[in-house]
Amino acid sequence: MRYRTFVVLVLLMALIAACGDGGGADTTTAGGAETTTGDTGAATTVAGAATTMAPEEGGSLEGVELSLWGWSSSDAENTALNDLVAQFSEETGAVATFQPQAEYDVALQAALTSGDPPDVFYVDSLRLPDLADAGALAPVPDGAVSNPDDIFPSLREAFTWDGTWYCPPKDFSTLGLIYDPDVLEAAGVAVPTTWEELAAAAETLTTGDAAAIAGGTAQAGLSMGVEYARWGAFLFQNGAAITNEENTAMTLDTPEAREALEYVAGLYQDGYAVKPAAVDAGWAGEAFGQGKAAMVVEGNWLPPAMTADFPDRNFAVAELPSGPVGPGTFAFTVCYGVAADAANPEASWALVDALTNEEGSLAWTEAFTVMPAREAAATEWTSTHPDLEAFVAGADYAQRWGFVPGFGDVLGVLNPGLEGVVDGNMTIDQVIADTTAAGEGVLGG
Amino acid sequence: MTADTPLIVEAAPRAETFTVKRGMRLKGGSSLGWLFSAPALIGLLVFVAIPIVATAWVSLRDWSGLVSPFETEYVGFEKYNELLFADGVRRTDFALSIRNNFYYVLFVVPIQTTLAFVLAVILNNKFLKGKGFFRTSYYFPSITSSIAVTLIFVFLFQTSGAINAILPFETINWLDNANGLFHNVLGVIGIEDPPVWMVENEFMGVTFWQWIAGPSVAMFAIILLVSWTSIGTFMLIFLAGLQSIPESVEEAAKVDGASTFQTFRHVIVPLMKPTIFFVLTIGIISTWQVFDQIYATNFGGPQKTTITPAFLIYFQSFRNSQASLAAAIAVLLLVVIMVFTFTQRRLIKSTGDV
Repeated sequence: MRYRTFVVLVLLMALIAACGDGGGADTTTAGGAETTTGDTGAATTVAGAATTMAPEEGGSLEGVELSLWGWSSSDAENTALNDLVAQFSEETGAVATFQPQAEYDVALQAALTSGDPPDVFYVDSLRLPDLADAGALAPVPDGAVSNPDDIFPSLREAFTWDGTWYCPPKDFSTLGLIYDPDVLEAAGVAVPTTWEELAAAAETLTTGDAAAIAGGTAQAGLSMGVEYARWGAFLFQNGAAITNEENTAMTLDTPEAREALEYVAGLYQDGYAVKPAAVDAGWAGEAFGQGKAAMVVEGNWLPPAMTADFPDRNFAVAELPSGPVGPGTFAFTVCYGVAADAANPEASWALVDALTNEEGSLAWTEAFTVMPAREAAATEWTSTHPDLEAFVAGADYAQRWGFVPGFGDVLGVLNPGLEGVVDGNMTIDQVIADTTAAGEGVLGG
Repeated sequence: MTADTPLIVEAAPRAETFTVKRGMRLKGGSSLGWLFSAPALIGLLVFVAIPIVATAWVSLRDWSGLVSPFETEYVGFEKYNELLFADGVRRTDFALSIRNNFYYVLFVVPIQTTLAFVLAVILNNKFLKGKGFFRTSYYFPSITSSIAVTLIFVFLFQTSGAINAILPFETINWLDNANGLFHNVLGVIGIEDPPVWMVENEFMGVTFWQWIAGPSVAMFAIILLVSWTSIGTFMLIFLAGLQSIPESVEEAAKVDGASTFQTFRHVIVPLMKPTIFFVLTIGIISTWQVFDQIYATNFGGPQKTTITPAFLIYFQSFRNSQASLAAAIAVLLLVVIMVFTFTQRRLIKSTGDV
């Protein structure tokens, strides 16, 4: 009897909870876009609402509260962003605050699910398809972002999903070849510009096996993470990629892709390249900083890490070597997205524009090593960061780091497979077959 | 159990006529009982019962985790189908996570239970000096943050770390080593190449040869770490159990002529059975939920040999925007834990009364 009462109580509570939340959801639906019809429906509604909203100038944002969520990379970056946001608040009268989140993905997911998202938030290009597909992001309204044609096309592309542009990039990074000029000079090695030169340089610069390198008594020619986020650049250099440009079909099972994978895997198998974990380093930058590697393939985040952790380490940046087909690299970028449910879309877009227009993007990037996403600003940035020019050069041919929703499963097959190839317990053919099968499952091809 | 019954019978009539000081008379003890247990019950309901029901509900929908779950589509058992029957990455991942975690449980539970019991017996010796010191030092790892302990172990186990410096073998790559322990053992006794049928046949997308791989060397390092950490907690529980055994029982055994080992084997161990049962149950449940150590050492790598169901839940939910899939894994994990706990209960019961 008591047991039954308890069960009834549980069900009753569950019902109340469900109804309560349902009611909440209904009110947000009424206030916002029609969401039940799917993404396109929601997107058009929001876009429609956006076109009717005229960009107003002056103190029209007086007292509007805006929250900006992101993750925190360093205190210096937090301070710089806080300053920009404060400046925006001062000029417009809005009350905008930057609120960095620990465990960003988890915090953002909870906020989106509860229907109370921050007005503006960081969106990594890898996460964009997930968020856009879920209808969590508002597309860029016409005229909300000033001079959009100035933004590097590859970066706009990175935040375009299903033909809709969702958000302007905050900044970007590309992969380059970072090397120790002293070590290269001492060994009489020129900075490699082709695959053959890279292999030869790595061979000459390698002075011992992995155990000796881990122990700090030898050096590897090259250290690079065994993952698509690095190896992919070599695929591009050979005219290959994991999927076609439209992300509709897998293209890993081609002679070009196989050749590129064999080339990179060969560097490891010959002992001229090591994965960071094999030499007790958390990532390639650490291996480089500790003097365990003479060259690494990393991006704009490496210089500040060197300054912070290995201030005595000398380094220089070159473009990645060109492959048989040409140059190739990845662009990693983050944008400022506006929530589809943002309470005040007009003010939110005003904040985004202030942070990403030419002035804003230059103010944001000039003190750091990440690059402005606008061509004009990038040119100016180069003059203050001449040593990092190679990263900017990569922007011309960089490919985006972003796929389709659920593609994490495919990389989850490819990356361990590549590790297996390096460890010698998988073959490249197996990896290509497994990854292609997994990808076809996700892409529906 | 029978000893408790009279107490309840006796208590019930009293409660019927329970009089509150202010003169308010309460009819029936049951409503008063509900009232007193309400805070705990509401807590259970809000933080346990409803989340469980919600998880099961979410697992039947197609929810990315990025919008309100009430706006999602009902897809029935599709997520379960993806995890258990449909050919693909998700089934393979799930199968690997079950394999990895099974070997993990297989090693950690016996190691931690046995060592904790032995330590507790030693510490229960009345002639031992400095008990407080030993108790504290064995318990210390258990109360330290698991992430902090894990990071220290990562340093100890790295190629140039202290473990390799102490061990008299050639340098072992512990943490970045995907080779299965059983495969390594088979290799040592001369079986390098797997039998063809084990490679050609598979179950849930994983070949039989991979199923019998054993924990990878990286997972084995985590097994050692967790065993070391959790021994303290269980030692304390065993110690409490041992101290509740009256001295007279041991003395009686001695008078009857039992040796120390016989006393231990035939008196202490049977009397400790409820405690052993408790420790095993808690041990099995917690080892099937291992997450912190996995996250902090290798994030599931190398080559997925340290992914576990709990890790997959996190990964699918927060990194791959597949919250419904994660919920389905959580429900399946619950089933796995229940199966193991009941089996273990059955086994213990069949060897005598609990």
